[in-house]
Amino acid sequence: MSGERRAIDALRDVIYQCNRCAHCFDLSWLGPDFREKCPAYRWGKFESYTGRGRFFLARALVDGQIEYDADIAARVFACTECRGCAEHCFKYLSTTDIYAAMKEDLARLGLVPANMAAGLSDEGGLGEYHNVYQAPHDERLAWLPDASRVDRPAEVVFFVGCTSAYARQNMALDTYDVLEKAGINFTVLSDEWCCGHPYLAAGMTARAVETIEHTLALVRQLGARQMVFNCPGCQRAFRDDYIKLTGRPAPVQAIQVVELLADRLQRGELRMERYRPKTTVTYHDPCVLGRWMGIYEAPRALLKAIPGINLVEMPRNRRDSYCCGAGGMIRWDFAEMAALAGADRIAEAVATGAEILLSACPACVMQLQQARQKARSRLKVMDITELLAAQIRPVRVAG
Amino acid sequence: MSKLISELAAICGPEYVSDKLVDRVCHTRDCGPSPGGLPTVIVRPRTTEQVCAIVRLANRERTPIFVWGRSSTFIGHGIREGCILLALDLMNRIEKVDFANQTVTVQTGAIWHAVDVELGKRGWELHVPGSGGMFVCTVGGSVAYNSVPHGLAEYGMTGEGVVALEVVLPYGEVIYTGSAANRASADLGFERYANGPDLAGLFIGSCGVFGIITKVTYRIRQRPEAERFAFYGFDSVDTAVDAAQALQRRQVPTHLVQVFGGQKPLGVEGQAFLHLIIRDSRAAADERLAAGHSICAAFNGVRLDEKATERYWVNHMYSWLRNTPPEVYYSDRPYTCPEASAFIPTQRVKDAIRYLLNYEVEHAEEFARYGIRIKCYDVYYSRNAAFLWIDTLYPELDLEAWQYGLKMRADYSEYLWSHYGSPGGILAPLAPHIMPKLGAGYELMKMLKRTLDPNNILNPGILGLGDPSPGPSPDRGGEREEVGR
Repeated sequence: MSGERRAIDALRDVIYQCNRCAHCFDLSWLGPDFREKCPAYRWGKFESYTGRGRFFLARALVDGQIEYDADIAARVFACTECRGCAEHCFKYLSTTDIYAAMKEDLARLGLVPANMAAGLSDEGGLGEYHNVYQAPHDERLAWLPDASRVDRPAEVVFFVGCTSAYARQNMALDTYDVLEKAGINFTVLSDEWCCGHPYLAAGMTARAVETIEHTLALVRQLGARQMVFNCPGCQRAFRDDYIKLTGRPAPVQAIQVVELLADRLQRGELRMERYRPKTTVTYHDPCVLGRWMGIYEAPRALLKAIPGINLVEMPRNRRDSYCCGAGGMIRWDFAEMAALAGADRIAEAVATGAEILLSACPACVMQLQQARQKARSRLKVMDITELLAAQIRPVRVAG
Repeated sequence: MSKLISELAAICGPEYVSDKLVDRVCHTRDCGPSPGGLPTVIVRPRTTEQVCAIVRLANRERTPIFVWGRSSTFIGHGIREGCILLALDLMNRIEKVDFANQTVTVQTGAIWHAVDVELGKRGWELHVPGSGGMFVCTVGGSVAYNSVPHGLAEYGMTGEGVVALEVVLPYGEVIYTGSAANRASADLGFERYANGPDLAGLFIGSCGVFGIITKVTYRIRQRPEAERFAFYGFDSVDTAVDAAQALQRRQVPTHLVQVFGGQKPLGVEGQAFLHLIIRDSRAAADERLAAGHSICAAFNGVRLDEKATERYWVNHMYSWLRNTPPEVYYSDRPYTCPEASAFIPTQRVKDAIRYLLNYEVEHAEEFARYGIRIKCYDVYYSRNAAFLWIDTLYPELDLEAWQYGLKMRADYSEYLWSHYGSPGGILAPLAPHIMPKLGAGYELMKMLKRTLDPNNILNPGILGLGDPSPGPSPDRGGEREEVGR
């Protein structure tokens, strides 16, 4: 990067604020479950995988004592972006800004891990297919029950996302279903691309902006004012990342389906059918929905409103929730680590005695389903939209 | 892979050893302002036997060892260039809770507060409820530095709760102290002052220079039935000191903190403040609290909302001493805080405070030039005297301010320790200010170090024992370190 200013150098002031207290990876005073709250540290074993460690590395970089290399890349890209470190930072530092800057520099240097680089490539990857599954673009709406929903003028765009579109189509259908039941006038985009979140995880910010703007242009054409998501990563791209990257707000409100439904429920426009038989469930807070966007209570409000559903919490919940291992696209290059985090989370859910583990994120659900399978657990793992699709009823207002 | 690395890998398993630069860089300094050198290798043993083997190997290879718990001290340890960095964080098990003898035995890397939380589930607690370090401070580290804990006025220093230690000596042998020394009752650490001289005392506060503490048997107690709080403002520092000492004499407080400098507590009037924490049975706590109120009133103290005191005590957040939420207090520019502290005899507390306040006035120009701020001057009252601590903040990005900040610490330390006493855990950058003042006592420590550790393996330089301290720091010349400032 000779002659080129590195993103990390602009953050020297923040880097120097770290007081190395270790709260970013050790909260064991809260109990044994909190000892290794950083999935990367739990797997990588050395402090270089922690928030404190990455700050050490960042400081050595800005002070010119080390240079970026593959080892540093491995520490930075092993981060699941769960933001647990930021949540408990003694100095309230946005740790993930430091990691994002390091990723941006590493991407420019061509040090993105191999599988991630291939997955995002313009030849045979995201750049070519516009989805992270390398599936044909024209099959993105293959799940759609009603073609008249496509590209029609509407207030609301349902942004489907890659995982719902290709890997967990039931989630696309369930979201579609609850939006219909909630009486939302919505459309879907015929030329929907990936939200751009994977590019951000790889530090490829320009590509992320380009991708987000592709979608925004389509949304603008249809005159929609709101985008609804069932994937927190997609929502974040439009709600928070776009303005951060460009300085301009996205000209559309980005809202999670659980927020929308909780709002309707609170206003008395929805009711919940009794769930039979009476069942105990637990809820996994997706990192992006929770720690990144602060949405903890909307899904809980919906679950608590279902008669017959008994919600029990895992010891690590809300801001203390443990990452399932799907974040930061780490499954591409750190599959073993992702599996370990998933297994930990499944064990925690099983210990609550719940019969169903719910989440509100396609990536989390897919990861936890795979972890459950490996653990040969009888715990059922599903997205909250699946449960809601079965239980939600509109309230008909007379007249 | 070098022979040293491969032998360490053979002892601990390759996944617990790293000589990668990316890992070593992350172990070059603690929470303090002074940088250290770059270790040669990081090793994470899980058993005492592994620690012994590593120490023997280090002796054979003449490679020093630096002991790392969670590295949460604010002093600035000075990690030795080229050392084996012995990270003890995996040795974190609670081995035994012995309610009959009122002790808990833990491995050295157990986190203090984590042990307390576990005991709390059964209605018990460690002899000192917070060891005074950061939240992540380890039991072994707190004992090795004999940190000044919460509850100082009633429970004493961290070291006072030690019943027995397991220690790996600098030549790789294991010893047990107190009742545990007699192997007939080895699994029952129940009395510190058994079986001859108090060997535990040699290791408490010695910062790992005489041995590596690998296990601690510590006193526990049933949690007191009640906690009571009081917060008072006084119109002068001297009056607050008088009130505090009256409270001490009546044995009112479990913990008593005087706040007299830095940011004033939010929304209250006064020049100095006392936070009073009392723990006891309900009746006794109420009685002690009534005595506290009456003493403070006798010194014209103005009663303030004790919620601040309670928040400080319950959350261990010092910001509440100034009635300030932590996010406001701690979230700031890249400021670093090189702590200075001292034990002060009762009759000299006012003098010491006056010195600090005068220093601030006399150096106002430099404070302004370098952006120095006083975060706090606070006093923890002990049973019979006082512990004064000073947190000066300087903007770390500014090299000159950083050097000036460390000069301030040196000034404070030099003055305070010329008149009063240093804390137990001294550490490398501060040792030059106290050790020469100890005369024959220092000579004895040097002799012990030479005898126990002829190869100068364990934490050399710390406490001014063994080789000169690792690498330059601004306290001794202000040269920049190879890695990190």
